[in-house]
Amino acid sequence: MSNNNSETIENVSFSEEVTCRHGGETLTACYQCGTCASSCPVARLDSRFNPREVIKLALLGEKDELMSGDSIWLCTSCFNCQERCPQNVEIAELIYALRNIAIQAGNSPTIYADFGSALVDEGRIVQISKFVEKKREEYGLPPLKPVNLETINKILHATAFTKPEKKEASQ
Amino acid sequence: MEQSKVGVFISDCGKQLSEIIDFDALTNFIKTVPEIALIARGSEFWRGNGLQAIIDAIKSGKINRVVVAESITKISDVNIAQAVQDAGLNPYLVEVIDIKDHCAWPHRAMPREATEKAKAMILSAIERAKLLEPIEKLEFPALKSALVIGAGIAGMQTAVDLADLGFEVNLIEKAPFLGGLSARVGRFFPTDDCAICIQPPASDVKTITHTSRKCVYRSGFSEIPNLNILTNSTVIAVEGVPGNYKVTLETKPRYVIADRCVACDKCVEVCPVETPDEYNANLTNRKAIYMNVPAVHPQVYVIDEDACKFHECAKCVSICPSNAIDLNQKTEQVTLNVGSIVIATGFREFDSSKIKEYHYDEYPDVITNLELARMIDGFGPTGGEIIRPSDGQPAKKIVFIQCAGSRDRRYSPYCSSICCMISLKNASLIKETNPDAEVYICYIDIRTTGREHEYYYERARELGIKFVKGRPTEVYNDEDKGKLIVDVEDALLHRFLDLEADLVVLATALIPAEGTQELAELLGIELEADGFFKEYNSKLRPTETKQRGIFLCGGATFPRDAPNASLHAHSAAMKATKFMTSGKIVKDLRTAEVNDEYCGDCEFCPVTCPYGAISLQPTSEGHFVARVNDLLCEGCGVCVGTCPLNAIELKHSKPNQMTAQMNALLSINGTSKPLVLAFCCQECGHTAVDSSGMAKMEYPANIRIIKVPCAGIVQVNQILEAFKAGAQGVMIVGCKSDGCHYEVGSIKAEKKIDLAKVLLKEYGIEPERLEIFRMVYIEGKQFAEAAKMMTERVTKLSQIKLMGDS
Repeated sequence: MSNNNSETIENVSFSEEVTCRHGGETLTACYQCGTCASSCPVARLDSRFNPREVIKLALLGEKDELMSGDSIWLCTSCFNCQERCPQNVEIAELIYALRNIAIQAGNSPTIYADFGSALVDEGRIVQISKFVEKKREEYGLPPLKPVNLETINKILHATAFTKPEKKEASQ
Repeated sequence: MEQSKVGVFISDCGKQLSEIIDFDALTNFIKTVPEIALIARGSEFWRGNGLQAIIDAIKSGKINRVVVAESITKISDVNIAQAVQDAGLNPYLVEVIDIKDHCAWPHRAMPREATEKAKAMILSAIERAKLLEPIEKLEFPALKSALVIGAGIAGMQTAVDLADLGFEVNLIEKAPFLGGLSARVGRFFPTDDCAICIQPPASDVKTITHTSRKCVYRSGFSEIPNLNILTNSTVIAVEGVPGNYKVTLETKPRYVIADRCVACDKCVEVCPVETPDEYNANLTNRKAIYMNVPAVHPQVYVIDEDACKFHECAKCVSICPSNAIDLNQKTEQVTLNVGSIVIATGFREFDSSKIKEYHYDEYPDVITNLELARMIDGFGPTGGEIIRPSDGQPAKKIVFIQCAGSRDRRYSPYCSSICCMISLKNASLIKETNPDAEVYICYIDIRTTGREHEYYYERARELGIKFVKGRPTEVYNDEDKGKLIVDVEDALLHRFLDLEADLVVLATALIPAEGTQELAELLGIELEADGFFKEYNSKLRPTETKQRGIFLCGGATFPRDAPNASLHAHSAAMKATKFMTSGKIVKDLRTAEVNDEYCGDCEFCPVTCPYGAISLQPTSEGHFVARVNDLLCEGCGVCVGTCPLNAIELKHSKPNQMTAQMNALLSINGTSKPLVLAFCCQECGHTAVDSSGMAKMEYPANIRIIKVPCAGIVQVNQILEAFKAGAQGVMIVGCKSDGCHYEVGSIKAEKKIDLAKVLLKEYGIEPERLEIFRMVYIEGKQFAEAAKMMTERVTKLSQIKLMGDS
């Protein structure tokens, strides 16, 4: 997969590419104390993800490793790390920034491509099943309003959202 | 004013300058200038026969203004001014210029142009000299007495130094006993000796001279006749001026008469009241009448007002064998007159309960390093045993957490600098007496930067202390196990650890002492953004404040270990001595003065002055005018540059003097290039010109230098005047914005340049004719390059056409 369609910034280090992006600004404040790692519920369970290591790799400019691996997609956005970081590094936001770079470069897990397609085509990430509708009724929740696809597509268009391409290697 | 008779002394620096500059032409030119009483040529005028010639001319009454064209002006200035004063003339009626480094050397490739520039430079100096006015010195008596606030290790050392040097010293302490933090921490690193050891007075009253260090109580410290120690005391008001402060103190009652108490402990035995012992981290109780620990100073009990039942009980009064207890003592106020004040109020631990995830206020077994130090102290509440405060059982597993609040943007962003060593010390002391204890230190970085400190770290590893690289996210309480769990990632192992602990010790951030802000307000001195007292300049004027007469030492300026606090204390004593020793304060009056007629109600100068030297005073006509405090004014002129009404000026750099210089410099060109006037600040800007000349860097002779006290003095109208007087380009050369010798001058100048550029555009003058440059002494090359660049830039533009020009 090439970077033909993405805005690659020439002659700029990867850490600068991250810091000039929304959410990535606080990257260089990290001094690797590891509070994020010990705060992270995912890192405990899955050795592929460790927020401290994600930041270290970004600081060292290991773009390929971050972009091609699974790690940045495993964050659940619980914000524990961000809440406790003594340097106010916006870790969860930073991971979003990394994901955005990855998507622009055409690297995203299949499921994200599916979400994207569903959003464009149906206005929702997840289809609402009969089961869900029934459960809502049971819990006394109002029925979901129909989606105004036209409005959603206007927003998507205005924010330059395009269907993410499927990562070829992914299943 | 007396008719000026200018003596012009031109040096060829041992004939080297006459190879470049045509000295005959120069002399002939000077002869045409009015009010010249004497022209002398020589090899050098800053010493020897040359200097004598200046002195003789003054003494004979032939001249009353001196212009010297020399080299290395920064040195010769001082010599010449001193000689002029000794000869009976005011030393500020002298103008010294450097025709070597500012003219002959940089323009040696074009001797004819150099000669013309030298003429302009000397003319400018003469015109300035004619307008110079005598400047007097401020002189008033200073008391040879000091107040030292805070009796921790720093305050005590400063007090001993000053007392040894013969000053009357008042040492005051807020607590009932001396020692501050140093008394509580028990031991010091890296020597592990007692914290409360001090260097005793040099000359003992009993003719015994102590040389080795001593515990405070046996140091003879309290017996120094010119040292007055006041405990339980705080400063409540300060009036007066440097050299003569009137300080009001409030002394809380001790209820025990010091002269009578024999420290027999009988009062403590009968006292029925028990109250938590705050000094000992509330790990135990003490009586309402108490001493912190046995070996404190003074050896006099104190009654805790909040706990004592006073006359309801009074058992101590009846048992005291020496009638020392007086329950009717009242708070007293004392007024002291002192020449200088030394602040030694120290620092304290940050409130760790703010870090919610460490549960300091919830779990009794989470403690701080200072609380641990009380346990380690044999005099402490546990007699040296390390216990779990929750159940009193021995603590076998101990986990230290470093940077609890330090290096944390939410609390204290700075590194508290000594906590790594404090934890290494406490951990080692535990391991030494209790080798079976399991001790972990969780750290981000271990910082052991002092002498012997790395060795101390090495010894800690030898003792078996375990190090985990990681900052724990949380301390949990495992109720089933009855243990605390420290949740941390060891980054080196890539492994998550749940460390079990009986005791968790927080290496808390160290922050300014309580009351720091209030004391700063009382004394009118500045604090750093982190809340510690601000030193005047950490490199050259440590322990000083901008208020002459008020000094700082020890942890009041930043967390310090004992060796550093001690060093700092001796420095503060030295500075206070320098200030008071002659018994008078002398300050030259090269200061700002206000023209009341023009000054009106705005607050620009008081706000801008970096020294707080300007205040607004009401007039009888119901408005406010600015007043300059000559003692605080440093004569930079930032106020002059700020005043919108030209109502304030410097005595040594008046607008008419500057205009005359400017016109003179621009009245002669002699080069084929357009004239560029460079306003150079006397600090970095002018010295960069010096260094470019000294290094024989070349730049064109159309560059004309006018020295100003600070770039901040330059006014927009002066820039416009320069263009009117014939400058085709104007440079402002000042210090780096964060290195301005007067703090804000360079930044203010930059803003003014922006404004001036807008105005220039309005007048049809290209804004690029004006530029600001910032450099330091060693950047002579930058000056030469800037000069060339500006010359090229204005050469490309056509001659300025001003309105009214034909």
